Amino acid sequence: MTRLPANFLLGAVLVSLMVGLAALSLVWTPHDPTALDIRNKFADPSMTNWLGTDKLGRDVVSQLMLGARNSMTVALVAVLMGGSIGVVLGLLAAGIGGWVEDLVMRLADLSFAFPALLFAIMLAAVFGPSLSNAVFAIAFINIPIFARVTRASANQIWTRDYVMAARAAGMGTFAISRDHILPNIAAAIIVQATIEFAVAILAEAALSYLGLGAQPPAASWGRMLSEAQTLMYLAPELAIYPGLCIVAAVLGFGLLGDGLRDITDPRLVRER
Amino acid sequence: MIELDTLSVTFAAGSALRDISLKIAPGDRLGIVGESGSGKSLLASCLMGMAPDAATLSGTLTIDGVDMSDADEETWRPLRARRVAMIFQEPMSALNPLRRVGDTVAEPLRLHFGLSRDEAAKRVAELFAEVDLPNPERRARMFPHELSGGQRQRVLIALALACDPALLIADEPTTALDANVALQVTDLLVDLSEKRGMALVLISHDLASVARSTERVAVMYGGDIVERGGTDDVLHAPQHPYTQGLLAARPDPQAALRDEQGKRKRLPTIPGNVPPLSGLAQGCRFAGRCALERPDCATARPVPHGPRMLLCPVVEGAA
Repeated sequence: MTRLPANFLLGAVLVSLMVGLAALSLVWTPHDPTALDIRNKFADPSMTNWLGTDKLGRDVVSQLMLGARNSMTVALVAVLMGGSIGVVLGLLAAGIGGWVEDLVMRLADLSFAFPALLFAIMLAAVFGPSLSNAVFAIAFINIPIFARVTRASANQIWTRDYVMAARAAGMGTFAISRDHILPNIAAAIIVQATIEFAVAILAEAALSYLGLGAQPPAASWGRMLSEAQTLMYLAPELAIYPGLCIVAAVLGFGLLGDGLRDITDPRLVRER
Repeated sequence: MIELDTLSVTFAAGSALRDISLKIAPGDRLGIVGESGSGKSLLASCLMGMAPDAATLSGTLTIDGVDMSDADEETWRPLRARRVAMIFQEPMSALNPLRRVGDTVAEPLRLHFGLSRDEAAKRVAELFAEVDLPNPERRARMFPHELSGGQRQRVLIALALACDPALLIADEPTTALDANVALQVTDLLVDLSEKRGMALVLISHDLASVARSTERVAVMYGGDIVERGGTDDVLHAPQHPYTQGLLAARPDPQAALRDEQGKRKRLPTIPGNVPPLSGLAQGCRFAGRCALERPDCATARPVPHGPRMLLCPVVEGAA
């Protein structure tokens, strides 16, 4: 058994911490995260409010936990939605080839011409700011990313002898894509999904920070950050907590993705 | 059953098959021999309708009386596995490393015959037994890396046999195998062909296995069939200069390694290499390497003559 790479281990620790917090918030939080207690605003950390309270007296720890749940949910749904559409498009492009491949790839090129976040802001501006619109926007920017990765890996597998053998056995493009191509490119897709998960968390935080994502009173790291912004001199820690959470989550998924790639792609490991 | 009439394949770089005419009847066993690059594998992929996209085909290819020369993928698909099936050179890479071999073999059964999972599994076990895989049910649950090279090739034969094809094309099926395993696999192919009345096209540069397993042989060079006939006749009395060179280049294990002076004897070879597609002569493809070459050989296209359809104007064809 070879040693697991350090980036994978660190990423796994950070990710399990964040996922654990999010999961725990489903059943338990120290306080009701939306309960106001104006008399107790800007409380210092104490046995009851471990990280104190914000300007409306809401418990920071409870809000952070809910923010974790919110981030994970948005990232999961967005990456799953965008990823599955992208993978299907990529498989189609590689399997059918010809003008279908050209069309899908040129559309992907086109979408890369727009900065992803700017595009999400545009969608939110058109369809109105809401969490579900933020999810759709993040999902949408994931489609071309996954389509590209899938097509590139699938085209490699299409040249394999066992694909020839499957064709010689009379299998069609669809069946070959499902039974032979997809399982053999799954590793590359999972690595990409993990990395895109980090990007999605960051995008959700950015959109919520701009007021285009989660709407009050829903808890979100990005929204906590923007609320704390005006109080930077009074209570800087209120901005630092959600900021640290975003860093930890993004870094965690990013490292986990890199680590997974190192594990699944033996060529990279040998070079190091 | 399968008929090729002046089938030619051209790439941008040059012509890779020239006017190939062949008839394969049910139960035929035909060997195709020639060096690497002579067009053997390309011919096989044409018979499966799997020629590369970059290739331009002309001439006709008929299967069961239906002209398939211009057929598209959808027309070919139902014929593959059911009428023509193929096994490949490299048994490791021809099996999906992530699938149990039983599932791979079950695939065409479910696809073409609509068998259920259980019915297909039963049939797979029968097929594995037919290709002499010991312990068929257990083998079916294994992954390719758990099998030996010979066993993998047997799995691929079972895959090719699954839908009871009328013709089995074996493209250098024994190249990647040990000599004794290669013999077993070749014998298995002959047995199956006899038992099932299935035609066999054996593509090989191993003359011994062709001699052992086929009735007729076609010798290919540079995209031409230069000589054809009964396997014994051609291999014992080759007429085309290329066939003669090919046979002379065969090592004879009985021959002394050293000559009278004690010097190590060298194996006779055919001088030169197979030229690239773009460098092939317009006339006889063998021009430039041939011992009997005449000045006009490189430019004048030879006409097949005699009972062996000999593609050489210099040699008089005899029976």
